Amino acid sequence: MRKQKRITNKARLRKALAIPALVLGIAASPVVGQVEGGKLVLAQSANPPSLDAMTSSSETARNINMNIYEPLVAIDENVNPIPMLAKSIEPSDDLLTYVFPLRQGVLFHNGKEMTAEDVKASLERYREVGATRGMLDKVEEIEITGDYEVTFHMSEATPTFIEGFSSPRAPAVIIPAEEAAKPANEIEIIGTGPFKFVEFVPDDHVTLEKFADYVPNEDFDGPTGFGGKKTAYLDSAVFRIIPEAGARIAALEAGEVQWADQIPVPAAKRMSSDDSLNVYEARQWAFLTFIMNWNLPPTDDVNFRRAVLYAIEPEEVMAIATEGFYDLNHGWQYPGRTYNAGDIGKEIYEGAHIDKAKEFLAKSDYDGEEFLILTDPNYAEHSRAAVVLAEQLKPIGINAVVKQLDWATVLKIRLTDEGWNGWTLMQGLEPFLGPYGIAAKMRGDQTHMRGTADVFEESYNRLITGKTVEDRQKAFAEIQTAIYDLVPQIKIGDVGRMQAGSARLKGFKPFRAPRLNDIWLED
Amino acid sequence: MTRYILSRVLSAIPVLFVVSLVTFLLMWLVPGDVASQIAGPDATAAELEAIRQRLQLDQPIHIQAFRWYGNLLQGDLGQSYLLHRSVVDAVFERLPVTLSLAFMSLVLAVIFGVLLGVLAATNHNNWIDQVTMTGALLGLSLPDFWFGLVLIFFFAVGMGWFPTGGYTPFTESPLGWLRSMTLPACTLAFTQMGVIARMVRSSMLEQMGQDYIRTAKAKGLPRGLVLFKHALRNALIPVITLVGIMTGLLLGGTVVIEVVYSLPGVGRLIIGAIQNRDYPIVQGGLLMTAGIFVFVNIAVDILYTIVDPRVRNDR
Repeated sequence: MRKQKRITNKARLRKALAIPALVLGIAASPVVGQVEGGKLVLAQSANPPSLDAMTSSSETARNINMNIYEPLVAIDENVNPIPMLAKSIEPSDDLLTYVFPLRQGVLFHNGKEMTAEDVKASLERYREVGATRGMLDKVEEIEITGDYEVTFHMSEATPTFIEGFSSPRAPAVIIPAEEAAKPANEIEIIGTGPFKFVEFVPDDHVTLEKFADYVPNEDFDGPTGFGGKKTAYLDSAVFRIIPEAGARIAALEAGEVQWADQIPVPAAKRMSSDDSLNVYEARQWAFLTFIMNWNLPPTDDVNFRRAVLYAIEPEEVMAIATEGFYDLNHGWQYPGRTYNAGDIGKEIYEGAHIDKAKEFLAKSDYDGEEFLILTDPNYAEHSRAAVVLAEQLKPIGINAVVKQLDWATVLKIRLTDEGWNGWTLMQGLEPFLGPYGIAAKMRGDQTHMRGTADVFEESYNRLITGKTVEDRQKAFAEIQTAIYDLVPQIKIGDVGRMQAGSARLKGFKPFRAPRLNDIWLED
Repeated sequence: MTRYILSRVLSAIPVLFVVSLVTFLLMWLVPGDVASQIAGPDATAAELEAIRQRLQLDQPIHIQAFRWYGNLLQGDLGQSYLLHRSVVDAVFERLPVTLSLAFMSLVLAVIFGVLLGVLAATNHNNWIDQVTMTGALLGLSLPDFWFGLVLIFFFAVGMGWFPTGGYTPFTESPLGWLRSMTLPACTLAFTQMGVIARMVRSSMLEQMGQDYIRTAKAKGLPRGLVLFKHALRNALIPVITLVGIMTGLLLGGTVVIEVVYSLPGVGRLIIGAIQNRDYPIVQGGLLMTAGIFVFVNIAVDILYTIVDPRVRNDR
């Protein structure tokens, strides 16, 4: 008989809510005064590329999809995995099997009850079309072990498997088995979430309406992250696609929309004095990073890369790139998070060290050739950072040239060894989800920096296979040390995201996607 | 006349062929591909290759070109890679928005442009002329983007008379359609109105100096009749050509207005497709837009022969 540890919902929730309750003073008990009904109009900047949630890792798709679909395992407010459609998660001691008893009575939007057959079919489909299907690489077989139970048989023990499986990046959501048989982007949009799909008019809007037969997860006391006990108060929600920031703000101020994403910092400052609006600051939204190409001179030379690292003054770059909404953070994890590696690299990060930079430049083989900084105008932070970085590097004798191309072209070029030395990139979900995504991009065949070093490979393996949190923390500390030594990427700082909403909108808390559950509109 | 129309229609075929060829080749010359857009910045090379194979983008360009033209001859412009619908559907869904915008702004631009042009010409060199032409110059000079936001600020946020953006189909609510189209059409019309007013003014001034106008005045015809029946009718001939060109430009050039007012039109469709390397939409959308442009110009040429029979007789 297999020995199993049981991760229950109540235990998870207690752990999840402990920190915010203490730090932010947020009560875990339900808020009173909710108003039923009403239509919430939200404004976002771009179309969802797909409403087939498995296939897209786009933020604009996630904003909508996380309200329609649910996975077996979700993340809570502190990004810890919690059971969602699973009743619990029962790993064996050797971590070679995971049993997922399912919640019973959960209904799809078409009225059908979710069973183990739907779960297996959905996850088998995810292996085929999932945008981050690598998360299931270690799952050898998905076995139906009861009408309401599935068991994963793993090819090898991976202590961090559940963290990866809970990722909302391109979530492994559960859809009806008959839909799971269909190819990517050809399914009916049917999930188990508190809101169901009504219509999508590209470049105009996506409409969702309350799923009246939604079955909340009673194992929780309230909502948390993308899971917990969700309650839909709104009758419907419309995501309007408004690409121009000024028009999003105008729509909010005119009362046509009640929530808007990506508010420019100067406008947010102005709006914060308006009593009819609330401005939400999501501070830990993304890392602004500067990625080095290890396969093209001069950045193939570690001493040249060190010269770049030491010459950069992060505060100046951040202040200009983000219009003043930033946090300086040398770490490759956010402060306060489990895997934050403390002061490693802090001394190097704080301010420019011009003498040291010149010393490394002299040690390198650099001969005045162009240092090409690849960037794009689609994300203003990228291009503004590139310009400041170039100006900071020129005084120490680096012939920095900004190469600005459109986003699609940048994505193509950065996959080659030619045409770029440095690339400005905001990394949003990777650091939010923990250390694994960050570390994964520095090892293996598909690194951001077009090369790797043994230390990244070895430390990554220890990170994902470490049996205890301490083991894994140690492995990530080694990675951060190596980042400041070998310079695959340079951390510039933490970028925030401004959102705003009508004062009538109650219960809203910023997260990685707007959650339509447990928010309401006051009359 | 029939022969004339037929010859103009036949001459459109090589134009459209060249447009399709240039569009096809240009999209293949620009770097970047749709696979990166679908898979995102963290995609592996294997994932990108799998997407390219699924979309048949890994095949040689001549095979893709043959497939594209083969389908085109059967009236099939292909499937969008990202919108998950046919190109024809995607474009036709958005045509009402762009046509509404172009038509309404053109009507406003022509009515006010002609009136202001006539007003300026009949008050040549006095303060009315100067104020009118300064207004026309302002219309030509102000960026659409900025002017659109100013109108939104005053008339949508401030007064609350119009929505800040979005599109209401005419079939859903005629009044809603009118409200959703008014500010975008006014923004677009302001620029076009300036061009028309200046053209009408100079054309009118030229006509007013002609012998037939002097004759009309000498025989005692009322001033209004001289102006509107004789001078304006002849002054409008170059304006018709201008309006024809403008119609084409409006159909393809509404993208800035569509972005500012969040209108789901053809311009935004094509710009989005270019950014995302959604080749079928770019190729099909541009071909259809070019087709409309060409046929609008043919219609203008035909209209020209009706307004001025000398043109028809010359041929």
